[in-house]
Amino acid sequence: MTSQEKDIETVIPDLRDIPVDRLAELGSSALAHSIALYRERLRENGIPLSSFQARI
Amino acid sequence: MTIANHPLPEAAFTELAEGGGSPAAMRRLGEAQRSKHMMLLHAIAEAATGSETGPVAFRAGYEQLARIQETAPGAAAWLLGLPHLGGWLHDTLIHLDQGTAADFGHFACLVAAAAIRAGLAVDLDVPVRDGRVRLPGLGSLLVTSERSWIRLGNDGERVTAGDEFAVEARWLAPDDGAGAPDEGTVAGWSGTPAIRATADGLTWTVLLEVDDPYLDRYTLPMRTAMSAGEVTDWRERVRSAWQIVAGRHRWAAEPMAEVISVIVPLTPQSDTDLVSATTPAAYGAIATSWPPDAVTLAETLVHEFQHVKLCGLLDMVPLACSGDQRVYAPWRQDPRPAGGLLQGIYAHLGIVRFWQAQQHAETDPDGLLRAQVLFARWRPALGQTVQTLLETGSLTPAGVRFAERLGARGQHLMSVPVPAEAARIAAEVALDHRLTWQLRHVATDAADVAALADACRRGESRPGEARTWVQEDVRKVDSGLRSRLLNLRYLEPGRYRTLCADGVLPVSAADRLLLERSSEAALQAYRTRIADSADPQPDAWIGLALALSQLPPSPSQQALVTRLVQLFEVHTRLASRTDPLDLASWFT
Repeated sequence: MTSQEKDIETVIPDLRDIPVDRLAELGSSALAHSIALYRERLRENGIPLSSFQARI
Repeated sequence: MTIANHPLPEAAFTELAEGGGSPAAMRRLGEAQRSKHMMLLHAIAEAATGSETGPVAFRAGYEQLARIQETAPGAAAWLLGLPHLGGWLHDTLIHLDQGTAADFGHFACLVAAAAIRAGLAVDLDVPVRDGRVRLPGLGSLLVTSERSWIRLGNDGERVTAGDEFAVEARWLAPDDGAGAPDEGTVAGWSGTPAIRATADGLTWTVLLEVDDPYLDRYTLPMRTAMSAGEVTDWRERVRSAWQIVAGRHRWAAEPMAEVISVIVPLTPQSDTDLVSATTPAAYGAIATSWPPDAVTLAETLVHEFQHVKLCGLLDMVPLACSGDQRVYAPWRQDPRPAGGLLQGIYAHLGIVRFWQAQQHAETDPDGLLRAQVLFARWRPALGQTVQTLLETGSLTPAGVRFAERLGARGQHLMSVPVPAEAARIAAEVALDHRLTWQLRHVATDAADVAALADACRRGESRPGEARTWVQEDVRKVDSGLRSRLLNLRYLEPGRYRTLCADGVLPVSAADRLLLERSSEAALQAYRTRIADSADPQPDAWIGLALALSQLPPSPSQQALVTRLVQLFEVHTRLASRTDPLDLASWFT
């Protein structure tokens, strides 16, 4: 496998094939960990806003 | 049941790092956003307990979404990718974290919108706010009674709201301006303005969101209550901009048509401000105030779309760590953290590519000059800021690879020829920006400055450098008007010529000479002002450096552009009628 074919590790769980009403069955899994990480980022940094202002 | 994280192929990462994005890469980002929204929905579902109407409505909506996922996956995907959902999810999570009241019930509106749009049966209690039921992505229903909740039903063909509204479901759609049945309106229904733009065989359909409170989340307020005339103006401006983007900037147009589904018009604080923004809470949405012309809007769309792509990638792969260090960004007045600098570089890669192509599209001399200068202005900034970013040490290993790719792309663009006049103007405004920023935000060690001043007084050689560090707003620098005029020369050459011809420019004699490129005379005027003034004159020091930079290279010029803050502080410390150029010579 060449470097261009490799996958990069991401932090978003792949929930494409899981109905929302079955998410609870995942229990204290990677999903809970990802949610905790995301909420921690949100608490620490808020929601960063990219805002650009130009005088015209 | 086990889950893996979303895969991101190295090739897609590389493509994004180089500023592009194929349909396959965009699909990866979109799928990850939908998973992110499901993840956050699950977090909210765990908190939406109890028998109050809000949590009850949320749970009903949640169950309905599960049914939609099973029977109409496309409708579920539409909802899970809707920027309105992202905005609501983030606000709700913040409320939960802060222990304040969350608007759980709004989720029922989101699910109802998805069901009605797809012609699916739905039967949900939904909240009534300001006399309306909002159906995000579609529009809103007027409710005449004063109730705060209403039963919204759809049997697949007919939508009802309590006993006061009933209409065929197909009419509950965004308003594309093409007219509705009969007299052009459906009583009680207000469709979100939609814009359909087609150019060069590429169609982009985008909503003009003027109502959703969860997308009213930018530094400036959403432009709500737009008149029909304003909506028409926006439609025309967006279509004109799309002609430019689709016709000349295909690399950006194709993924943009795929990803950007909402424009949020902003209310600027003044008519001369152009403000645009994005947020990772609303992937797929771009906010902007009214753009003065189609080219400016086209540039804004390309610029903000870069931010949207990077936000999507950052959700998947952290590239920068949070830290306290703040550094120079050539496009900002304030010192920036590493994460902010990365966003700025990425946006400016798009801007450079935009102006590179736009140079070949402009036909009038003023438009051509603007395109050439903006290309020349931002192109070298890419490599310089990537270096600054790498030196912060704040990037993750993936972030380092990303920045290096970005830098290589910037380096590649440096080989494109630029006319000498455009290069000269670009270099001058870049120098003005950098020196202004330095005088504002670079502090010096007082003891080091005192030692330098003492050595200068005694006629000794310079004993090294004063230590410096970035600190916000160390000095007040009042050179905004001059900087604006320097930029007006190429941004609006016609207006600049008129102002000069009218002789009404409210600037100092020295600034006027600088703008006229009477460089020697400007140099003398700034020199006299600095030497004769009892107070520090930071703006005159910048003018002095700019005037000297208009002349052939010299050691004093080099000292002024590389050590301006030290020169300024030592001169202030000397507190005598010291000639600034004599001091600059001492610094060489």
